Amino acid sequence: MVDVKEAPAERHYTGGWVRRREDPRFLTGLGGYMDDIKVAGALHMAFVRSPHSHARIVRIDTSRAASLPGVEGVLTGEEMARVTNPVRVRVAVQAEPEAYCMAYGKVRFVGEPVVAIAAVSRAVAEDACDLVEVEYEPLPPVVDAEAAMEPDAPLVFDELGTNVLWRQKFPYGDVAGAFAAADRIVRERLTIHRYASTPLETWGCIADFDRGTGMLTLWAHAQIPGMALGAISHYLRLSPAQMRFIHPPTGGGFGNKERSAYAAVAALLSKQIGRPVRFTEDRRESLTALVASCDGIMEVEAAVQADGTILGMRIFNVEDEGCSIEFATIHGLVMLANLANCYRTPAIEFETASVLTNKTPAGANRGVGKPFMCFAIERTVDRIAQELGLDRVTVRQRNFIQPDQFPYETPSGDMYDSGDYPRTLRQALEQIGYEDLLRHQAAARAEGRWVGIGIANAVEPSSTNFAYSRLINDRAALTGAGEAARARVEWDGTVTITTGATDTGQGHETAIAQIVADEMGIPMEHVRVSPTFDSAIAPWLPVSGNFANKFSGTDTGAILGAARKVKAKLLELAAESFEVAPDDLKIRDGYISVKGSPTQRKRIAEVSGPAYWTLAGRPAGFEPGVEAIHYYNHPLANLPDAQGKIRAQMNFANAAHVALVEIDRETYEIHVQRYLVVHDCGKLINPMIVAGQVHGATVHGIAAALLEEFVYGEDGQFLTSSFMDYLKPTAADMPVIETGHLETPSPFTPLGTKGAGEGGSIPAPACIAGAVEDALAPLGIKITSLPITPTRLRDLVRGATK
Amino acid sequence: VTPTSLRTIAVTVNGKSYTRVVEPRLSLADFLRDELGLVGTHLGCEHGVCGACTVLLDGQTTRSCLLFAVQADGHEVTTVEGLARPRAGAATTDDLAAALELHPVQQAFWDHHGLQCGFCTPGMLISAVELLKENPDPTEEEIRVGISGNLCMCTGYMNIVKAVQSAGRVLRGEPPLPPGPVAEH
Repeated sequence: MVDVKEAPAERHYTGGWVRRREDPRFLTGLGGYMDDIKVAGALHMAFVRSPHSHARIVRIDTSRAASLPGVEGVLTGEEMARVTNPVRVRVAVQAEPEAYCMAYGKVRFVGEPVVAIAAVSRAVAEDACDLVEVEYEPLPPVVDAEAAMEPDAPLVFDELGTNVLWRQKFPYGDVAGAFAAADRIVRERLTIHRYASTPLETWGCIADFDRGTGMLTLWAHAQIPGMALGAISHYLRLSPAQMRFIHPPTGGGFGNKERSAYAAVAALLSKQIGRPVRFTEDRRESLTALVASCDGIMEVEAAVQADGTILGMRIFNVEDEGCSIEFATIHGLVMLANLANCYRTPAIEFETASVLTNKTPAGANRGVGKPFMCFAIERTVDRIAQELGLDRVTVRQRNFIQPDQFPYETPSGDMYDSGDYPRTLRQALEQIGYEDLLRHQAAARAEGRWVGIGIANAVEPSSTNFAYSRLINDRAALTGAGEAARARVEWDGTVTITTGATDTGQGHETAIAQIVADEMGIPMEHVRVSPTFDSAIAPWLPVSGNFANKFSGTDTGAILGAARKVKAKLLELAAESFEVAPDDLKIRDGYISVKGSPTQRKRIAEVSGPAYWTLAGRPAGFEPGVEAIHYYNHPLANLPDAQGKIRAQMNFANAAHVALVEIDRETYEIHVQRYLVVHDCGKLINPMIVAGQVHGATVHGIAAALLEEFVYGEDGQFLTSSFMDYLKPTAADMPVIETGHLETPSPFTPLGTKGAGEGGSIPAPACIAGAVEDALAPLGIKITSLPITPTRLRDLVRGATK
Repeated sequence: VTPTSLRTIAVTVNGKSYTRVVEPRLSLADFLRDELGLVGTHLGCEHGVCGACTVLLDGQTTRSCLLFAVQADGHEVTTVEGLARPRAGAATTDDLAAALELHPVQQAFWDHHGLQCGFCTPGMLISAVELLKENPDPTEEEIRVGISGNLCMCTGYMNIVKAVQSAGRVLRGEPPLPPGPVAEH
């Protein structure tokens, strides 16, 4: 099904435990991150941000700020609105509100930029911000999504006449029939909170507008640089040809590193002043105004038979997008990818709404919506078991998609590629010693202790197909999935790879070198991979970048495609000099040789060098150089059919998580005593890197369930603007993540791989919730809401024992 | 800033003496990064929680974001740039790993995948160096507590703990832990 399915003859590096080549830089302080980049004459930008969640801007006086020595430029939202285009929804909805890169007319969340100032230092810029006077007329805010859906709710955008930006029902299969045939309907209402993985490096940019050439050079963080370039050029009314976008090595992303509007503000200041302008968020700004996951509410109804077989589900999902315009709808759409999770559920009705509130704009965070969907499905499966008096393992095993059913099409049209879900769970229970845990729990319960076991299964989808936009708007331009890469065999035989597939710490430099070296038959040391994306050097698409776990299933297609093209060219050139056919040649250990005649060989440089230097007298049609670009169009990315079925994502890793927790009866602290992940993400390019991804993602999910929450007051005031309030897990807080590994290759990807980066973050919240509920089962307490903090637990217990 | 408010300070950083005129409000972290160009010290929160900016001040770990440069006047600072030593005779190579003799803690982080994005790494390394100096043979629990002043958003800490264990062995004269999976069944 893929156009690059030919496997390399030998794999020396792919699949190996290969240390990362980028690490010596990072270990010695030479990481080259955004803030390390020196640009002569650069000014520093700071924002005046809204202290109100909802208010009309009555008056802005920047005169004192502008006259402070060292201040070179001041820009208000109103001035910005006059010369820039409005912010667009990435997935175009029917009615778009009017919003700009900074607040204009109204402020709509605490922390929204109102005025930007560029000065000789960040300190002077902040001093100047203190001198800006903004008069606000506070308006009643709306901070709760359900309240925002009420007809008389305050409006975030008056011109829309509603806070419901998008609401749509997707009926898949015979849902009514399933419910009519059911022995029982199991209902649950679940909620999730806002959280974010908060990369340790905050968002930053450097904008340098050259007024002579009309070119904007922009160093900026972005998860999807091509789309950021598209957004920024749109705001600033530039052609993409006037923009050079550079994405340096990055201190973590997790979906959060998107602030195209800020980059546009810096660029406009640079254009107005005629000097480069740089900006690095401080942590308070980042926590206040970064993109976080949506908080949400889900109502689930499951139609089940008495034996636990799930016949159908109805799901109503409300996503609180905050004041998000750019990324609205994405959570609901991506949830299509794990709507069925690991189960054969034949009929599913999914209704989803994107609701605007006076909170920070939501956006992508590791897993995007799928942790909530998994939480909802897995909690419902546990509930089915409870209500039917069945074992929760039995209910899962009864409903799993079976290994012989792959490729398996889910009701919404996702095509699960491969896996063995029953075995994944079996292995997890064996590895953790489930029977022993049950005995331990029984003994602890007899002593009055609160000990619980959690189980969660998950599909972990990867590679997003943006054609889901067509479900909303049948003329949406943005569809599909792809990536681009260039391979160039230098005259010394080194192979240089540049690609639009950016890296935020996943070791792409190493992984790309592994697969290119194997593909071309050269030592890994002969492959150089650019750690920096530069749109003027690397080929790219609007869908290029670092998101949706796409490296394994999409980026590999582009990289292998480019490598195969230059390999073919090398063989063609060598064939001429050996006077044989290209098929008679092979490349191994950096030498091109005639098959069966190993002494007849040349170093790669002996073939690539003349292609650059020795051009005269060549036959007509000879094309100098050994370089190729491959634009990979993901062959599985389809358009929705008439029933709205679509492959929202295209590869499906899977996992089973098991947790053992004990709750302190005095403090309500939740101790995670054991945590096991058995995962299957197909073939591995580098098991060391995959292990690190599994650990990190799982800890993200555990911390999201237990510690992390963006909290807003009823007035929309933001209450968690430091790491003293927004609790990140330390090494002392987190358990040992035990792992087990299965390997079911994907038949859909060039190397049999599947995305591994988001995986652990998807089932972990469900698993922790299941464990806590199990611990409190003697009290009959249900865990339907995240996060599970000691305070909330105490309230639940007090409520249950009153 | 009026000239009278500026202060002259003398600080030894990684064994080299520097004299600079600074604003009193300049943090030690910004001093290291902006005045001395030692950008290995990272800023992750600037309120003393994340530990990315951790340096040694007279041998003890300190949050360089919470200290003013003027407070370091007359003191010795060690940053991540001061951990590795140039390898004799290798000064001209462009291969960093060949040019430098990494500190055993750095080497262990590399061997055991104790870093992903690398942003927390300088502070984490400095904390690990202090930990192993004070407690050469820590238990896993002691390592987890010892590095709990440094946030890592990527690794889930598993491989960092193993790296510190392995570095401890090397510093004690024992062989390093072999590379490979940790807590995998």
